[in-house]
Amino acid sequence: MEQPPSSPDQGLIAYKVDRVLDETNTDTKILVLSRQDGQSDTFPIWIGAAEGHAIKLALDTTLTPRPMSHDLIKSIAEHLNVHVRRIVIGDVKNSTYYATVYLENNGVERTVDARPSDAISLALRTNAPLYITEDVLARRNTANLDLWLAKQDKNSMNQQEVRES
Amino acid sequence: MRNSKMLGCTVPVAVWRFLFPTAGGASFPVITQMHLKGLMFDPYNNAYIVVLRDEEGHEMLPIWVGKAEAGAISMALENVAPPRPMTHDFMKSVLDAYDAKVISVVITDLNENTYFAKIHLMYEDSEYTVDARPSDAIALALRSNAPVFARETVLNKQSSEELEQWLENLKPEDFGKLDS
Repeated sequence: MEQPPSSPDQGLIAYKVDRVLDETNTDTKILVLSRQDGQSDTFPIWIGAAEGHAIKLALDTTLTPRPMSHDLIKSIAEHLNVHVRRIVIGDVKNSTYYATVYLENNGVERTVDARPSDAISLALRTNAPLYITEDVLARRNTANLDLWLAKQDKNSMNQQEVRES
Repeated sequence: MRNSKMLGCTVPVAVWRFLFPTAGGASFPVITQMHLKGLMFDPYNNAYIVVLRDEEGHEMLPIWVGKAEAGAISMALENVAPPRPMTHDFMKSVLDAYDAKVISVVITDLNENTYFAKIHLMYEDSEYTVDARPSDAIALALRSNAPVFARETVLNKQSSEELEQWLENLKPEDFGKLDS
């Protein structure tokens, strides 16, 4: 396996998609990522309903009669012999997370800016690893998280395991 | 360059050969260039309709799409630059990253619930054909300034009776908003 990208100082922590939760009364979903290196951590990202649906389809490996948008991106990449090497959530500004998709074709690496939902939707379909930078983990929006956890408590929807340690 | 005249739309033979490389001389599927006439909400089916029309307005092709797909098409139609790349902007970025181009899109079949389109790509002097839903193909074509074609068989399938009835239900103002 190749090493994760760029400066060695930029610590990358592996995460995986845990689940997609419905946010009650809104048109949004919560994408829950869980840390993979033994430490217990959950990283929620608020995403749109359509984006949540696209991720759910990939998580459940649902076969759709026709290719969905991210299946098409995967198919285009396959046709061009472009491989999705990894996804890095590397920035957060004004509560918006930024993802970078690392592509490779015949040794030529290119990066593409994307919303985390699109990047992850593609990563799930291409079995590409997902990382979050330590910088982003340190700057995550805990205000949102607290609000969300409070809601989870109130709803007590059997989500006890989704909790900050 | 020799051109083929097809229902009012002129397509260079080279492009035609590219679109249908396997077609024999006499059996070219006929395709017509379509333009996006508008996008409207269909309250009966709680879906959106992308309306394509040929140059002369003889042929009209409605395509039912989902909400997200309609949003992707509408953003490109109205030239809205979203703060973050939407899914089809991301799709275009992947192509741009390796300098691959969308040459054209062809709507090849519309069955009841299964719609078919082909996206024709050019990358490093090679041509690729990718299977897609018409909604994705059109959303990508609009972002790439690529022409959209429909096979004649698709246009013929849309029985005129059905279409007229459907058009009668539309108010004139439905067309106005996104008409270009």
